[in-house]
Amino acid sequence: MSDQESAHGPGMSFFVAVWVALMCIVGIEVFLTYRHMPPRQLLLWLLILAFIEAGIAVSYFMHLKYERSALAWSLIPAVVFVVFMLDHVWPDAFRLASLRLLSQ
Amino acid sequence: MSELEITAGAGHAGLMEESPYGIPSGKLAMWCFVISDAVTFSAVLFAYGYLRIGSPDWSTPFQFSPTILNGIVMTFILLSSSLTMLAAVEAAKGRRKSACFGWLCATTLLGALFAVLHLREWGRMIDEGWRLFQNPTGGSVHFGAAFFSVTGLHLLHVIGGVCALSVIALGYRRDRYNPIDVEITGIYWHFVDLVWMFVFPLLYLMNAS
Amino acid sequence: MDNTLAKPAAHQHAPPEGFLRKYVFSVDHKVIGLQYYGLALVAVVIGMVLSWLMRVHLGWSTFPIPGLGKLSAAGAPDNIMTPEYYLSLMTMHGTIMVFFVLTNAPFSGFGNYFLPIQVGAADMAFPRMNMMSFWVTLVAFLVLMAAFFVPDGPPLSGWTAYAPLSAVGKDAGPGQALGQSLWGISIAIFCVGQLLGSLNFIATTLDLRTKGMSLARLPFSTWAWFITSVIGLLAFAVLLPACILLVLDRVAGTSFFIPSGLVISDRLQPHAGGSPLLWQHLFWFFGHPEVYIAILPAIGIVSHILPAFMRKPLLGPRVLVGCMAAIAFLSYMVWGHHMFVSGMNPFSALLFSVPTLVITIPATVAVLLWIGSVYGAKLRFTSASLFCLGFISVFISGGISGFFLAQPSIDTYLHATYFVVAHFHFVMGVAAIFAIFAGTYFWMPKMVGRMMNETLGKIHFWLTFVGVYCIFMPMHYLGLAGNVRRYSAFTDDFLVPLIPVHQFITIAALITGAAQFIFIFNLIWSRFRGPKAPDNPWQATSLEWSTSSPPPFDNFGGKQLVVHHEAYEYGVAGSAGDYVMQTSPEVVKAQ
Repeated sequence: MSDQESAHGPGMSFFVAVWVALMCIVGIEVFLTYRHMPPRQLLLWLLILAFIEAGIAVSYFMHLKYERSALAWSLIPAVVFVVFMLDHVWPDAFRLASLRLLSQ
Repeated sequence: MSELEITAGAGHAGLMEESPYGIPSGKLAMWCFVISDAVTFSAVLFAYGYLRIGSPDWSTPFQFSPTILNGIVMTFILLSSSLTMLAAVEAAKGRRKSACFGWLCATTLLGALFAVLHLREWGRMIDEGWRLFQNPTGGSVHFGAAFFSVTGLHLLHVIGGVCALSVIALGYRRDRYNPIDVEITGIYWHFVDLVWMFVFPLLYLMNAS
Repeated sequence: MDNTLAKPAAHQHAPPEGFLRKYVFSVDHKVIGLQYYGLALVAVVIGMVLSWLMRVHLGWSTFPIPGLGKLSAAGAPDNIMTPEYYLSLMTMHGTIMVFFVLTNAPFSGFGNYFLPIQVGAADMAFPRMNMMSFWVTLVAFLVLMAAFFVPDGPPLSGWTAYAPLSAVGKDAGPGQALGQSLWGISIAIFCVGQLLGSLNFIATTLDLRTKGMSLARLPFSTWAWFITSVIGLLAFAVLLPACILLVLDRVAGTSFFIPSGLVISDRLQPHAGGSPLLWQHLFWFFGHPEVYIAILPAIGIVSHILPAFMRKPLLGPRVLVGCMAAIAFLSYMVWGHHMFVSGMNPFSALLFSVPTLVITIPATVAVLLWIGSVYGAKLRFTSASLFCLGFISVFISGGISGFFLAQPSIDTYLHATYFVVAHFHFVMGVAAIFAIFAGTYFWMPKMVGRMMNETLGKIHFWLTFVGVYCIFMPMHYLGLAGNVRRYSAFTDDFLVPLIPVHQFITIAALITGAAQFIFIFNLIWSRFRGPKAPDNPWQATSLEWSTSSPPPFDNFGGKQLVVHHEAYEYGVAGSAGDYVMQTSPEVVKAQ
C-alpha cells in the first residue's frame, strides 16, 4: 500500500472495485433465490452473504479497517454479542408454529 | 478549529490524554450511534423472524417483476449512493469543495430516488390490498406488519439521512462544516446501506414466490 | 512547580448570559445535571405518593382516601379505589420510579454533573446534544404524566406492560385506551433521550480526559457512568422498537403481540397470530440490563464516597472495576429469569439461570471488597458515609433474595409474589436510592456551595434505614406465604391472615415516606441558609474537589489540570498530609 493509502485508506478506484464486488454478491443472492432450495437453506446462504456484505461495507466503506484496531475490537464484538443473545427467542418461535389456533 | 477537531483528543500540545481510538469525538459518537441502531434493527428483524417462523401460513407473494426487480434497482441505487458518498469524503479530504458538494448532491439525490421508488412500491402494494394488518392473498397478516414496519423504519432512516446530507452539503459549501463532518455523515449513510443489505435478502428475497 | 498549566482549556464555549440561557436552555453540563436531578426529585415525590395510595389501600381496602376521587372519579368512586385503578397507580409508580428516578438521578443527574469534572474537562463532548437529551427526557416525562389526565386514566398493565393486556386497547380495561399509548410513546421518547446521553458520556470519558488522567486513574463513579452508558446504548436500542411495535398493535391493527382467538370482555379481538411471549423477550432483553443501569452508578458512587470517609483506598480497585464490567457483560445473558413461568422453553430457563447465578459472583466480590475495606478503617460517620453503609446492607439483603429467584424451581413458586417485590425494592428502590442520598450529601456542597445539615441528615438516615427494613423485610415472609403481587385487596382465605402484616408495612411506609421530607427540607433549607462550603469539605482527592464550590462555568476557571495520582490516595505513607489530591504535584513513593 502506498503512503497515501495507508494514511487515508485506499483511493476511489479501490472503492469502485468494492462496489462491483458488493453488486456481485447481490447478484449471487438473487441467483440463489431462484434456485428453488428449501427456505431454511436459502436463509442460511442469504445470511452468510449478507454478513459478508456487511463486513465489507464496515471495513472499507466505513473505513473501520483503517482505524486503530482497538475501535473495531471495541465495537464489533459488543454488537455481535448483544445480537447473538437475542437468539434465545428462537425456541419459542418454533413452538409457536405448533400452537396455532386452527383456522377461524 | 471546529468543535469536533478540538475534541479529537490527539494530545493538543500535551493538554489532554490521548483518546484510545485516535478519532474525533464526533466520529466515535457516530460509531456508537451506529451500533445502537444496528441493535434496534436487529430487534425488529428478530421480531420478523420470530413471527414468520411461528406462522405456518406465511405468504411469499413477491413476483420477480415488479417487486424483486424493483428491489434490485433500489439496492443498486443505495450502493451507488454509498460510492458517491465515498467520493464526497475523498473530495472533502482533498479540500476540493465544489467536487465534494457535487458528490454530496449526487448522494442526496440517489437517496431521495431510493425513497421515491420505495414509496411507489408501497403505494402499489397498498393498492393490491396489503396493509399492516391485512394480507390480500389470505396468508398470515404478519406479512404486512413485518414488511411495512421493517421497511418503514429503514425508510425513516433514509429520509433522515437525505435531510442530514442536504444540511451537510449546503453547510460544507459555506464553510460551516469540515471534512470530518462529511465523513461522519458518510458513516451514517453507509450504515443505512448496510441495513438494506439485510432488509433486501430477508424481506424481499425470502418472500420471493 | 505549578500543578496546572495556565493555558485555556481546549474545549470552551462562552459563558452564558441571560436567565433562559443560564438556567433553562443551558448547555452547561452542571445545569443539565441539576435539571435531571430536579426532574428525578419531582418524579420521586410523585412515585412515593402513588406508593402511599397503594399501601393504604392494601392495608385497608375499604378505606376512602380523601381526595382520591378528585384525581379520578371513575377510578375511585367515593374515594375508594377500584381494583383497576390500583393497578393503574401501580403501573405509574413503577414506570416513574424505574425510568425517571433510578435511571435519571444517579446516572443522568450526578453523571452529567460530575463526569466531565472528574475527568478534568470543561464540559461534555457535545454540550448542545446534552441539552437536547434533557429536554427529550422531560418531554417523555410530560407525555407519561398526561396519562393521569386523559379521560380513561393511566394504563394498568404494570411498568412491564405485558401483552396482550397492553396491546389490545380499550377492551382490556380502563386506562388501556389512550393511557397505554401515551405510556408507549413516552418510553420510546425516553429511549432516545438516554441514547443521546450515552453518546455524550462515552465520548467524554474516552476523549476529554485531562493530561495525566489515564483510564486507570478514573474514579469509580466515572467508570460506573461510562460502563452504564455502554449498557444503555445497547439495551435501550431494543426497548425503542418494542414500544414502537406495541403502539402499532394498539393503533395500527397489527398483531405482533396479540394471539388469535383472544376474547376480552366478551369481545373477540380482531387480531391474529401474534405472540405475547415476544413482547416479554424484547422487554426483558432491555429490562434486565436496565436494572443494572440503575445499580451500577450507585455502586460507583458508593465506592467513590467510602474512601473519603475511611481515609484509606478501597481494596482491589481494579477488581472492582472488573466486577462492574463483568456485571455489564453478564446482564445481557440473564433476562429470561424474569420469564421462568411465562411458558418460555424450559431448557432456555436453564440457559438463563446459570448466568444469573454467575452474575451474583461479581456483585458478591464487590460487596466483599467494600466490607473488607471498611473493616479496620476509622470510618468517619457522616450522612454520606452512613448512607453508603446502608447501601451495602440493603444491597446484601436484596441480593440474597436474588439467589433464590435465580433458580427456576424456586422461582416457579415465588414468581409474582411479594418475595420478588421485596427483592427488587431492596436492590433498586432502596439501595439505588441510598446511593442517591449518599451522593447528595457528599456532592451537594460542591454543586450549590452550601453544606447540608448533618444532624438532619443523620436523623433522615436512621429513620429511613430502619423504615425500609420494616417495609420490605416482611415482604419476604409474605411472598413465601403465597401472597401474590399486583392484587389490590386480599379476600382469599389464605391471604386474609396476612392483612395485618400489610398494615404494619403500610404504617412503616407512611412514616418512612414522611421522613423523606426531612431530606427535602434539608436540601432546600441548606441551599439558602446552609454554611458556605469550602472547595474541599471532605478532604477528598478527586478532581471535583480541585475547584471551587460551586465550580465556575468552565469547571476549572480556564485552567487545564494535570493529574499526577490515582483517585483514592488516602492515608498514603510518606506524604505530607493524610491524603494526596489527584492534581497534587507531590511525589509519593509507591506503597
